Amino acid sequence: MVTREAQRDAKRNRGFLLVLSALGVLAGSLLISSEPKGRQWAEEPKAIGTDRLVSIASLPETGGQMCQWEPASATVSLRAALRQERLAASSVPSAAKRAEAAKRKPVRMIRDPYSSYSAVAVDPIRNEVVLADENLLNVLVYDRLENTPPKASMSEPKRIIGGDKSEISFPCGLYVDPKSGDIYTVTGDAYGLLVFSNQAKGNVPPVRKLEAPHGTFGIAVDDGRGELFMTVQHDNVVIVFHKTAQGKDSPIRFLQGNRTKLANPHGLALDLKNERMFVANHGSSHLHHSGPGPASGGWYGLALGKKSWPLDQESAIRGSGKMASSSITVYPRDASGDTPPLQVIQGPKTQMNWPAGLAVSEERGEIYIANDMGDSILVFSTSANGDVAPIRVLKGPKTLIKNPTGVNLDEKNGELWVSNFGNHTATVYRTTASGDTAPLRVIRSAPLDRPTLGISNPHPVAYDSKREELLVPN
Amino acid sequence: MAHPQIAAFARLAQGNIPPTRAIAGQAALLSRSLHDIRYDAINDEILVANGHAQAILVYRGAADGEEAPIRIIQGSKTMLNDPDRLDVDPIHNEIFVPDREGKQILVFPRNGIGDVAPIRVLKGPATQLERAGALVVDPVHNLLVVGLPYSDTGSSPPAGSLLIFQRTDAGNTPPSRIIRGPKTGIIRINQMAVYSPRKVVIAAQPGKIEEMEPDGAFVGVWSLDDNGDVPPRWKLIAGPKSTMKKPRGVALDPKNKTVIIADMRLNAVLTFYFPEIF
Repeated sequence: MVTREAQRDAKRNRGFLLVLSALGVLAGSLLISSEPKGRQWAEEPKAIGTDRLVSIASLPETGGQMCQWEPASATVSLRAALRQERLAASSVPSAAKRAEAAKRKPVRMIRDPYSSYSAVAVDPIRNEVVLADENLLNVLVYDRLENTPPKASMSEPKRIIGGDKSEISFPCGLYVDPKSGDIYTVTGDAYGLLVFSNQAKGNVPPVRKLEAPHGTFGIAVDDGRGELFMTVQHDNVVIVFHKTAQGKDSPIRFLQGNRTKLANPHGLALDLKNERMFVANHGSSHLHHSGPGPASGGWYGLALGKKSWPLDQESAIRGSGKMASSSITVYPRDASGDTPPLQVIQGPKTQMNWPAGLAVSEERGEIYIANDMGDSILVFSTSANGDVAPIRVLKGPKTLIKNPTGVNLDEKNGELWVSNFGNHTATVYRTTASGDTAPLRVIRSAPLDRPTLGISNPHPVAYDSKREELLVPN
Repeated sequence: MAHPQIAAFARLAQGNIPPTRAIAGQAALLSRSLHDIRYDAINDEILVANGHAQAILVYRGAADGEEAPIRIIQGSKTMLNDPDRLDVDPIHNEIFVPDREGKQILVFPRNGIGDVAPIRVLKGPATQLERAGALVVDPVHNLLVVGLPYSDTGSSPPAGSLLIFQRTDAGNTPPSRIIRGPKTGIIRINQMAVYSPRKVVIAAQPGKIEEMEPDGAFVGVWSLDDNGDVPPRWKLIAGPKSTMKKPRGVALDPKNKTVIIADMRLNAVLTFYFPEIF
């Protein structure tokens, strides 16, 4: 039974819809008739005078059930839409219109104009610190004792290496050769490894390049044996080359296989005293069929002409993917093939949340973890195993640690360096620092109040029409 | 790269404005190389793939912080291997995933959870799905557009293409139309979007993968009725005027008549007013 109140509501709704429809038609006709003769491509209307609030009026209540709103001339609209579609499909805009559109400038751009440090390497011999910038795609060299004054907008680097000739693309790992000062840069989305001379500056090509599988991240070097180690995220690999390898040189060996527990490996560190290799894993992985390597040459033919090469997607076992929690896996230094880890640090007590860069103090028997999403540096004994708590945690507002993705030890000066991807800083502490300890020094690439966007290699984009937001993944 | 995340920025954000929210952290189950993202406006959901873990992740539209997906498609029945890109058809409730290694397109139920098998597979020599890297669905005209990159050892100059299938095509079905050839300017195709009312596809063409700032990169617009060696009807060309260097992602905001473009080399997201295509 329909009540009188419901009938009143329905009548009110019909009236409201009629008014709304009339307004829609009027607005549409106004829009059509007001097409500018000389088109301007500014999105926002031109403001005349200043905005001011004239009045506020509440909309009438529209409670109760509403009927499905059907346009009165649905068939006509459909026909018009189809005609428009046919016209659109068959018409080709004039060359002049196309040329004008091709040169169009963006109305908006979201971009962080400041460096965001993703990795750090100290050169205590030359008293320099090298920082990888994953935002502006550069490598920056500062004096080791640089300390941005609180009131300064930023510190100027001594040298910047970057530009298309440098081929630096999303640098995420760094190593400085203590002897030559050469800067080894791992590029997350390009060639693999780029080596620059100590004095390189500007848009210069690397002195040496080495092909590595796509998706390298961490780097560690055994100078005594002349071996260079890199992690490969995509295919769950630690790949080892001669330190002087270049171009299409083959690796000496690699660690890869279903028993290794490598899972989206990131940071890498060596303990040469105890002959151990430490790897930080984010947790995603898949299995591979065993085999000699990519028969077709692998990702963009990188495996072609190589004596050996890691397995890639070609030999992945379909549907074998897993998502585990973050971990540190520990192997013999010279592990190769499908070698299981000797130790696995993993579990809720560890506090790990996307561990990135790693450093090891052989002297102290400690491993330092840049704990990206925990905004902390976690310190474990190098013998730690299982679900264990860190022996020290460096974390808190005074530390300035925010999304740390790189960590480096300067044992000569007893200092711990952190690259904070989340706040435009590199920060320095005593090696033994813990708790909410302020840094000894700060290198800042932007004024204090400038936010970081965290954008890194934005490949796709989506538009959330409900919230009017741009969705940007890394 | 250092830090996986899905960041949300206000539509009118300009310059160095922080995101309004960001999905990141262990519980979010993301990994690097998020090469596609789709927002399903009807169901208010965000879809991405985790290639390393061979999974499709679905988040609620308002997801924020270290938030887990509300649905995951993953497991041995899925046949997934390195899912890189995807699209969702909220009208017919399907998720489409290109499979480069398998030279196929896998179609899943949109509401699928866990170890679900594809409901359709488009595969076979007649499909020409060689290294099928990107796709987009037009649920109104029932079309599926697949973007192919140039072959590693193939043509010179290198040429990619757009293959247009019927949405429900399965098995060894040839494409209905192929946009390919020197006039197209296509070297490889990354993310695409369709605007059904005008029956057009908008595609990011970032040029050669190995070049830092490639020549000939652009975002192109083709009619979904185009066929053969057809130049794009509209182009936004990378260069000093547009600011773009290596466009790889594209999304549409029809209400405001804008095209949103993600540029890898600029590490930036650009919005262009482009009323002609709406």
